[in-house]
Amino acid sequence: MPIRYDADLARFEAACTVEDALPLAEWLEATAAPRVDLSACMDLHTALLQLLLAARPTMTAGPEDAFLARWVGPALGVPPSPGGKPA
Amino acid sequence: MSELFDQFVVEAQELLETAGGALLALEHDPADRASVDELFRAFHTLKGASGLFDMAAFTRLVHAGEDTLSLLRDGRRSMTPELADRLSRALDQCARWVAALEDSGALPADAAQAAETLVRGLSGVSAEGAAGGGEAAGEADAFPWAAALAGEDREAAGVAAAGGVLTAIDYGPDPDCFFTGDDPLALFRRVPDLRWLRIEPAEPLPPLAQMDPYRCLLRFRALSGAAVEAVTPAFRSVPDQVRIGSVKLAPVAVPPPAKPIAMAAPGSLAAAMLEEQARILDLPGSAAERGSRSAAVARAVAAILTALGRPADRAVVTAACGDAGTLRRFLADGPPENSPPEMPVVAEARPASPRRALRVEPERMDALMALVGELSVVKGQLGPLVRRVGDGELTRDMKAFSARLDSLVGDLRHAALRLRLLPLARVFDPLPRLVRDTARRLDKTVELVLDGAETEADKDILDVLGEPLLHLVRNAIDHGIEAPERRAALGKPPGGTLRVHAFQDKGGVVVEVSDDGAGIDPAAMRKAAVAKGLLAPDAAAALGDDDAVRLVFAPGFSTAGSVSDLSGRGVGMDAVRAAVERAGGRVEIASTPGSGTRVRLSLPLTLSITRVVVVEAAGSVYGIPVAVVGGVQRVPRTEIRGVKRAESVVLRDRVVPLVRLRRLLGQPADDGHGQGGGHGRGAGGGADCVVLVELSDGPVAVAVDDVGERADVVLRPMTGVLRGLRGYAGTALLGDGRLILVLDLRELL
Repeated sequence: MPIRYDADLARFEAACTVEDALPLAEWLEATAAPRVDLSACMDLHTALLQLLLAARPTMTAGPEDAFLARWVGPALGVPPSPGGKPA
Repeated sequence: MSELFDQFVVEAQELLETAGGALLALEHDPADRASVDELFRAFHTLKGASGLFDMAAFTRLVHAGEDTLSLLRDGRRSMTPELADRLSRALDQCARWVAALEDSGALPADAAQAAETLVRGLSGVSAEGAAGGGEAAGEADAFPWAAALAGEDREAAGVAAAGGVLTAIDYGPDPDCFFTGDDPLALFRRVPDLRWLRIEPAEPLPPLAQMDPYRCLLRFRALSGAAVEAVTPAFRSVPDQVRIGSVKLAPVAVPPPAKPIAMAAPGSLAAAMLEEQARILDLPGSAAERGSRSAAVARAVAAILTALGRPADRAVVTAACGDAGTLRRFLADGPPENSPPEMPVVAEARPASPRRALRVEPERMDALMALVGELSVVKGQLGPLVRRVGDGELTRDMKAFSARLDSLVGDLRHAALRLRLLPLARVFDPLPRLVRDTARRLDKTVELVLDGAETEADKDILDVLGEPLLHLVRNAIDHGIEAPERRAALGKPPGGTLRVHAFQDKGGVVVEVSDDGAGIDPAAMRKAAVAKGLLAPDAAAALGDDDAVRLVFAPGFSTAGSVSDLSGRGVGMDAVRAAVERAGGRVEIASTPGSGTRVRLSLPLTLSITRVVVVEAAGSVYGIPVAVVGGVQRVPRTEIRGVKRAESVVLRDRVVPLVRLRRLLGQPADDGHGQGGGHGRGAGGGADCVVLVELSDGPVAVAVDDVGERADVVLRPMTGVLRGLRGYAGTALLGDGRLILVLDLRELL
């Protein structure tokens, strides 16, 4: 299962696809102070990204995938990983 | 913050007005570069200013307008009536939003949707324009956002120092693309040498609860170091949703020093706003653009600093806003001890200090006017007091003092009155647009000539004037000016001329609307009046031509064969008359069949002060508003003809019905001994004092016992149980403290 929900923390793992969109939307809406861990996420579908942009959950860990770390992390409020340039 | 917001509202209104004017000029002369620039600047400044507040829909719309204008400016798109329509619709929307912001502080709920529709209209136009040259290399303006990238972003894209040619990608995925298996973000994994990527909502994201997770709401913009041909394959599956082209970015001129802003707490909203101001100064543009930008930035910075409780000298702020580097240094270090070297240059480039509007609550103005009114009354009582003191040095001094007080109170009153005066330009402004739209819809060519926009009148009067004026103009184009073929057949120039002329006239303001159209045929008016049952055939036949033309003001009258959606259903002219007369004004019409019509609206200068003629009847004093008075004259009794109780008199070659004010007011008739009359009556009762009153249904002579001075009074409407009393417009205090009743002769007769 690509996204594991653990009370107020959602862990994104491997390739997270559009199938996760509805459950994620429901979880974000139902959770008072949602936190998200993207460290193990290797691929993030656009549908999930826009939900995160809309809900702005707290990021406990940014993605380690190079593409996501450089281009998506900053948009979600994650400090760029050591590989990326400081903004 | 709210100060800043108020300033935005005022500024936005001004900018929208400017933009509207420029757009009209541009449509008139599509080659008018100055207007394109002006329009671009207006959109651009609005974008920057709105970005300071939470109004994404507004920013998005003006941004789209700016993009469109930038294509236009580079000749990549030419001005067409359709494009003008779309731009003016966008401006209208912005104006409505600004009004909403002023009222409620927020955009209406449907703003995002409205913006979306308009943006689509505009970008449809831009995309069409870009299609021709979008493939060509080196055209940065197809991607204005790329050219506008700020320093940090450029640095990230690897062009900070050297500049260079990059490939720009503008990808707006189809909202339903998730259903076809697209993952827009994933496409960028395949873009070679991705240098910069910005993911942003194409429209403001709705609250989570209302969001459809299967609808793509994002937009992607990116820069790549690879060539266009290398980038294109990544987007093979979505050619209709993406624009790819090469852009040449200039190197960053001044790498901004990364000093924190000392003027505001780090990370605070104010700091972010100040940094944004510096970024605005970084944007590329012509000298004129930069000039107006730095003026806007100076205003914003001054306002932010004041809001922070750190007001700075305006000149210092202005000087600091010359370029981004100076501003950043200024904000980091505080006001400089000595002027930076670039200051003189900057000071020269600055335009004259901008006009700032002062907004005052209407209630305060009314309170001021009432006080001034009372002051005049109290001052009026000083004269008689001084006379009672008798002769002597003291009296002479008091007289001199009283005279000085007189003139000061007069000046004060004049100044207070002027506070409420605004130029008529305010009601003229919507006319060019209205004429253009109406003429276009009717396939007529109409040239509008505006004259006297600088004439001033009270704001209340302008409010009264606005609606009737729009109606008259619409009417003139719809019913007055003929279609071009018909005009040509009549030997007239194919384009009609509509003239709106305003001027000041004996204590009032006059607006004339005249056209060179078909005019009004009195014979047709008579026939129509009979057909509608408004007049008996013989009464209609007896009407003079002028009176027949005046029938257009009769309630429920319309001469147009068909009812058009433009001018309504024959209630219009009646409504015009009613509105103007309610404000104490008058409407006149003159028309020559075949060569045109002229409608003349006369209104008092202000509603708060009414000029009255003081008259006497049966020992009481009354006021008649000067607006309706055509003249005052003494008429020998022998010239008054009586038929039973109805009397009439010939005045200025017209037979005018005569009524006696005493009878109107239910007072005993004057027995001719002048008991109730004043000192001014002619001896032997040989003459009557007659006030000629011009009402819309014709003149009436009102016989009074005596006519006194003319006076400016503050009219107080009847209140309490007297409110139901008809025939009186209100009460007023005269300068000498006497209370008069001001007559509403329209009601009384």
